[in-house]
Formats: sequence, C-alpha cells, structure tokens
Amino acid sequence: MLVLRTLLFGPAHGHQIAKHIQRTTDDLLQIEHGSLYPALHRLERKGWLTAKWEPAVKDQKREFKYYRLTPAGKKQLAVEESKWKRMTGAIAQVMWPAPPDGQEET
Amino acid sequence: MRWWRRRNREQDLERELRSDLELEAEEFRERGLPPEEAERAARRAFGNVVLTKEEVRGMWRWSHWQILMRDLRYATRTLRKSPGYAATAILTLALGIGASTAVFTVVDSVILKPLTYRDSGSLVVAWQRPRFLGFEPTGANVRHVDAWRKRATGFSGITIMRNMSMGLTADGNSSEHPRLVGVVPSFANLFEVLQVRALLGRTFVEADGVKGRENVAVLSYPLWQSLFHGDAKAIGQKIRLDDSPFEVIGVLPANFHFPNANALRPSRSKQPVSGAPEPAVFFPVVFDLSQMEWNGGVGNWVAMGRLKPAVKPRQAEAQLNAIEEQIRQELPASQGDNRPGSTLTSVQPMREAVVGDSRTGLVFLMGAVAGLMLIACLNLANAQLGRALSRERESAVRAALGAAKWRLVWNSLAETSMLSLIGGAAGILFAYVGLDLFRRYSPVDLPRLAEVRINVTALLFSLIVAVLASVISGLLPALRMISTDPQAALQNSNHRTAGSRQSNWVRSWLIGLQVFGCTALLLVTGLFSKSLLHLLRQDKGFQTGQLMVAEVKLAPRTYSTPESRAAFEDAVIANLREIPGVQSAGLVSGMPLEGESWIESVQRLDRPNLETPLINFRWVSPGYFEATGQRLVAGRFLEERDGVVKGVVLSESEARSVWGSESPIGGRVRIEGRTFTVVGVVADSRNTSLKTPPARMAYVHYQDRPPYSNYFLVRSNASPGALAASMRQAIWKYAPNVTIARVKMLDDQVADSLSTERFQTMVLISFGAAALLLAMLGIYGVLSYSVVTRKQEIGVRMALGASRGSVYGLTLAEAGAPVFAGLLTGLGASLLAGRVVQKLLYGVQVMDLPVILAVSGLFLCAACVAAMLPARRAASLDPMDALRSD
Repeated sequence: MLVLRTLLFGPAHGHQIAKHIQRTTDDLLQIEHGSLYPALHRLERKGWLTAKWEPAVKDQKREFKYYRLTPAGKKQLAVEESKWKRMTGAIAQVMWPAPPDGQEET
Repeated sequence: MRWWRRRNREQDLERELRSDLELEAEEFRERGLPPEEAERAARRAFGNVVLTKEEVRGMWRWSHWQILMRDLRYATRTLRKSPGYAATAILTLALGIGASTAVFTVVDSVILKPLTYRDSGSLVVAWQRPRFLGFEPTGANVRHVDAWRKRATGFSGITIMRNMSMGLTADGNSSEHPRLVGVVPSFANLFEVLQVRALLGRTFVEADGVKGRENVAVLSYPLWQSLFHGDAKAIGQKIRLDDSPFEVIGVLPANFHFPNANALRPSRSKQPVSGAPEPAVFFPVVFDLSQMEWNGGVGNWVAMGRLKPAVKPRQAEAQLNAIEEQIRQELPASQGDNRPGSTLTSVQPMREAVVGDSRTGLVFLMGAVAGLMLIACLNLANAQLGRALSRERESAVRAALGAAKWRLVWNSLAETSMLSLIGGAAGILFAYVGLDLFRRYSPVDLPRLAEVRINVTALLFSLIVAVLASVISGLLPALRMISTDPQAALQNSNHRTAGSRQSNWVRSWLIGLQVFGCTALLLVTGLFSKSLLHLLRQDKGFQTGQLMVAEVKLAPRTYSTPESRAAFEDAVIANLREIPGVQSAGLVSGMPLEGESWIESVQRLDRPNLETPLINFRWVSPGYFEATGQRLVAGRFLEERDGVVKGVVLSESEARSVWGSESPIGGRVRIEGRTFTVVGVVADSRNTSLKTPPARMAYVHYQDRPPYSNYFLVRSNASPGALAASMRQAIWKYAPNVTIARVKMLDDQVADSLSTERFQTMVLISFGAAALLLAMLGIYGVLSYSVVTRKQEIGVRMALGASRGSVYGLTLAEAGAPVFAGLLTGLGASLLAGRVVQKLLYGVQVMDLPVILAVSGLFLCAACVAAMLPARRAASLDPMDALRSD
C-alpha cells in the first residue's frame, strides 16, 4: 500500500521509493531492499504496476527502471486504503474507546 | 512470461539492483565518505544482494513449460548415462511405430477413403442377381438398368459403365503403333452421377449421349500430360481409340481417380487382371436398346448410382427388386426364365464394392499391426520396469529426502515421453523408408497403391501410438514408484538383492505375453508362407517355363468379319513359327490364370436330357497344347482340319462327367446349337486360376469363332527381351495398327496372379521378423537388468562355489518359464486365429505340424541367443569384483 501511495505522485524507481517512504515517515519505516524488490516484482506481476527503463529526470545520461501506477493499481490503492482505514479505526476504537455522548459535557 | 525472456529478466534485475546500489553509494559519497568506504556502506545498507535476487525470482512464476524443460533435461541426462537401455527402447518404438504407420498408411489409403468424389458415401453399385447364375451378383443387363433409371425414385441418378482397354493413337499419325490405355464407356450421365467437374473444357452430358454425337472423349490428367504435355490446346484435338475417332472435350482434375477393372469387376468370380490399365479415356456410349435382349447380357457392365439423401441401400435394393418383378410380368413368355423372382438385385455402397476382396486381407494386416504395437509397448514397459527396479534405491532416497511422489512419477513419465518422442520420430522415418520399399518392391495387386503416400492422418496416428506407448509403458513403472515404501526399498538394497518377488512376477508375465504375441504372429506367417509355396509348387497341369504370351486386341470395326480375324490369326501364327529358335507357337482366346470366360453348357447329342454343369470355352490353335505342355489323356490334340470338321478337345474332368467311364472319343456334343465331335481329352489344368480346383474346359479350333482377344503363346529358349521384340515384330509385320496390350513370360503371369498372396506373405514376414527382433530385445533387456541387479547375489553364489554352468542355468531359467508358457499359449491362440484366416490359405491346414515345429524351433533359437549374452555376462563375473561393488 505504501509503495502504491508513493507512486501516486508520479513514476519513481526503486531507490526513490525506498528513500521517499523513509523520509516521509521520518526514518521510522526503513524499507529493506530485501523486501522492497520482491514486493515491486510481485505488484508488477499482479498488474498494479508497470515498469520501464527511462532516462533520469535530472541526469539524462543515466537510465533507471521507473515504476508507474496502472489504473488497476489505483483502484487497488483505494481498496487497500479503505481497508486500512477500517482497520486503524477498529484498532483506535479498542485502544481509545470514544466516551459516551452525555459524559463529554460533564 | 515466456521462457526465452527469462534471461532478459535476469539481466534486468541485475541492472536494477546495481543502479540502486550506485545511488546509495552516491548518497554516502555526498555525505563525505571516500568512494570505497561509500560503496561498502551502500552494500551494508542494502543487505544481502543474492538473497534479494532469490526472493525476487521467487516472485516470478515458473511456467509449466519451464518445469517440463527441466524434467526433459533431467531425463536426457539420465538416459545418456544408460545408452544401452535408451537404444533398446528407441529401437523398439521405432520398429513398432514405423511398421504400423507404413501399414496404416496403406490401409488408410486403400480401405478408409478410396473414393475422392463429392459425397461418395451415397454412391452405390447395383448388381443383378439372375437365377441362372445361382443368384450371384453380377454386372447388370443394360435394358434392365435403363428401366431402373426410368422408374426408380430412390436415386438421383443411375449410370452404367465398364472398364475396357483400347489402342490409342493421336490422330494424323498413322505410322505410330497404338498404345494400350484404359477406357471407360458409359451412359452420358456418368459425371453427373459422380459429381465431378472438368479441370479443362467440359465433361460429357446427356446431350452427348445421342447417336452421331457420342464420339467425344474426356481425358484423365496423367494421359493429358503424357499425350499433350499439359497443353490447353488439347481441347478439340482428335484421337483414335482402336478404329474410332474421338474429339477431346475435357480433361479431368489431377485428383480424379476411377476404379480400374480389378477394383470394380462386373463378375465377382473373375480373377483380377494383372496390369489392368488405369482408366484414362472416358466416352459416352449410345445403346440401341431395341436390339438388346432382356435376358443374358449380364456381367459386362456395371450399374452405378447416387442415392437421394436419406435413402438407404437396402431401400434402393427393395425398389429395384420391385422393378425387376414388373419387368418380368411385362415381358413376353418367350424372354427366358419368367418364373417369379428369376432375377433379384443387390445394392452395395460403392466404397465396399471397390475395396472388395482386399478388405479381409487388409483388416487382417491391421490386426497384425496392433499385435506388433502391443509387443513393442510390452517391451518398453518391461524395460522401464527393469529400469525402475534398478533405480528403486535412488527414488527411495529421493522420497525419503522429501521429494513429492508425483514429482518422481512425473520424472519417469518425462523420461518415457522423451523416449517416445525420439522413437516416434525415428519411427516416422522408418515408415517413410518402409513405404518406399513397399511401393518399389511389391508387385501388389491392391487398388490405388500408386497413390499411397504418408499423409497427415498417418502421421497423427503414429504420434497417437507413440503417446499411448509412452503412457502405457511409463505408467506401470511410475505407479510402482508410488507404491514403493522408501524404508523397505532402502532396506532392500542393504540386503543386496533387488526386485521383490512381485515385480519379478510382473516382468515374467510381460515376457510371457510378448512371447505369446510373437509366436502367434510367427505361426500365422508360417502358414501363409507355406500356403504361398503350395500355390507356386502345385501341379498346374501346364508348363510355364520359357513360355511367352503376347496379347492382341483386334479393333471391332476393322476386324468385324470372322474371315478378317481368322486371316490375322493365321498369318501371325505363321510369322511366329518362323522366329528362329521357336519350339512351338499357338493361340488361345483367354489369358491363362485370369479366371473363367465364355461359359456355356454342353449337351450330348445322344442324351439331350443329361444336365451338365457349365464349362469354359477356349478357342485355340493347333500347337496350343504343345506350347503349353499339356498332357494328352486320350485321342489326339487339335489339328488344322478340326476347324472344318468341328472337333473339340475336352478336359479330363469334363469328359468324365459327361461320359462317365465310357470313352468320349468320337462322341458328339451340341454347343450353342452347333455340333462338335470329341477328338481328344487332355489332363485337367489350372489355367484359369491357381487358387481354385481345375476348371472344366472345352477347346475348339479358333476358326470356329475367331476371337477378338488373342493370346499368342511361344515357347522358345531365347532371352525374354529378344523374344518379346521378335514377337512384336511378327505381329506388326502383318498389321502395324493392332494394339499389343502386353507381352510377358508366363512365369511372371503366375507370379502376378498370386500378387495378393505374395503381398500378404511379404508383409507378414516383415512383421514376424520385427516381432521376433522385438521379443529378442525384450528378453535380452530384462535378463541383462536382472543380471546387473543380481550382481552381488551371483557373486556370493560364485564365491560359495557355484560353477559357471550353474550361473548360466540360473539366468536362462529366469527367462525359461515365461518363454515356454508364452510359446504354448501363443501356439494355441494362433490355431484359433488360423481358423479365421483359413479362407485365405490354400492347401494348408491350420494344424500344420511342420510349421508349428519350425516356428517353435526358430523362436527358441532366437530366445536362446537373446538370453545367452546376459547369461555370459553373469557367468564371467569376477566374484570378488561383484562383492566389492555397491
């Protein structure tokens, strides 16, 4: 899900994805390469991503394998997102049960 | 993902990871680390590259194809390690598949689809079955067919045709000697019934079937090629057939084939004619029906029809029978036999009629093929089983290490598939070679043999057989592996013996079955060979050596008068006698060994009420008996004066049936209203067929009714080539424009008349040889595996003092029981099978002791040879060596 979300901003290659996730989570989530690449290839096989060798934006001489979100991937992201929301919502309800309505005022 | 993209994907992954590493290293460098340090740090941060690659690869899916390739590679590796086994199995398959494909191709082309016309299933042949021929089906009377054509509602068309041969010359070239071609005169609707269109020009239609317009001809594709070199200007050209001019109006497509005289015979009892020409010229014939009789006139023409959709031959037959009944009631009483039901009909699918006699033989051959294939499969299964046994330990170890059982089965299946593929390919190669030999070296009398080509069906058939063989022979050992208890197998090998009692039992059974099939096949082969020998060696009643025959057909218009024909015959006989070195020369009106012809009844003048069977008439010249070497029993041979005084020579059996024990010489008989005096009696001879008892014969001087078909016989010890040339010369010296149909030695005629039998025997012998070879391979294979697996046991025995002789005995005994059991049951079964084929055997009983003994002897010798090699290997084992080896 995180990979898909990252790619929502536009195509990126493996290194960028890893760095992006690391940066946005303030180094909390360090994606290991040992699991990033298998995941990328799995997502590609499922048809949620496409991959293509393209010249880098900054340095045209270097080519990187850029991953791009497919329409199916976007849909899947939405599904995952709502699932995750429900999940976190459920967890939150268990951890911090909402006080009953009347009690809030007292 | 396709397998060939796998390598790309590998490189791709490599590149992707490397670029990531580089970026990582760059970042470290930017933070101020020295390049080497940065690289190391990047690697540390990245983690295990190889592991990552492995994990990514795990994400890729293995295609079935890749698994298959891997298994096949594995199979190839293991097979390469045991070339002996692989060669045995491949040879077995190649022999089995090759032989069966070759014969299937012949059977397929000859039986399964002999007719290439549109919707040929609705084409039928209608026979007439008159009472005076014992209701035997025969070619129908033209008037009757005309009535059928007008009244029968179940047919969309009825036509009539016959196969003939005529002398063809291109018009305007009178110096050219005519060449013999097959011709088919027919009603003008022939091609409408067959539903065939011309490739060039047109076919004839009803409008051509009118007096004065009927001299139009349609040529076959091969004749068009050879006569006009495929020139489209052939249309409109003139050709001559015998002495009639024809205009070419059309050429038939190349794939058009019409059954020749052998394939579609108006008289079923007629012998096949050797070298009957393929029909090449078709022309319409106009009958003057008012001049034709309602009775007789059968056996020359064949009626052919196309049934309307949904009409069954049986219904059509009932319809024709009803029309026959109407005809009988309408006819005046004088028109012969008008008792009710005096003629019946039979309607037969044309496909059946064309295949005719060859069907039994071919179906029988298919049986032989199936037997051979079965033997081959058993052989393969046996070899596989032996192999599985010797690898039992390996699979046990693999199973113990956790290999899935289905993987083990799949492995062994892959191995057999590999073998089947190679064997199948080799088999197809064998089939091509075999078929080529078939065509080239067998003077076969099978319809359409020339067209036989390996076709896609045959190819598919052979592949199916290969796959079946693979499955059958792979399944047994593979299933064995499944049931193998790894622990028991491992223990078993510790005990240093291999093969449980049960598995030995299975293999013995397989050998037994194989021997059973092989002996049955060999015995039938033996019977056929003996039957053929009998036919060739029996007393024919005439001498065929150094005798040459030349067939001349006289054109009906040029030689319309008996005098002109007699003059031709007189002159040619005189010319023939002048050829240097000629011992005797003569003339006969029917080709020897080509069946009966001109059948009449003979009546004694003094006993007009004595009914005698019909007999064969031959018009011969003086000198005929001398040339053929027939034996005189009483009286004298025909002489020149018998043409005038009307003398007749009878065969011995005919004389006996008419005169009993009295002397027939001087007796007077009435034949066709003419009176003849019996002047001599000759010994019976088989001059109509070698396969039937001698026919009753009456020989009359040719001047009585000079024949159109002349068979000049010359006995000379000159070389056949020179003799043939001088015979042609002698005939054309008198008349350069007569057609010489064929010139051949009578010995060749004997051989040709038995071509079907020779073909069957030849095929059976090759089958028998293949089966024998297969059985030898099987015995050899099984015994050698047994020797390999029992190496230690044998070593122990020898160390304990067993002699070489007893080791021989041990090995041979292993094969002995199944071989003998198979031999006995095989002989028994072949006696049963023999009863089925008894009809095809001549002068041989199914219980033929010499044949049985010879076959058993042959087989036992072969089995001994096959068993001896492994036995020798066992006996020459060094006991120490054997004990030391694992």
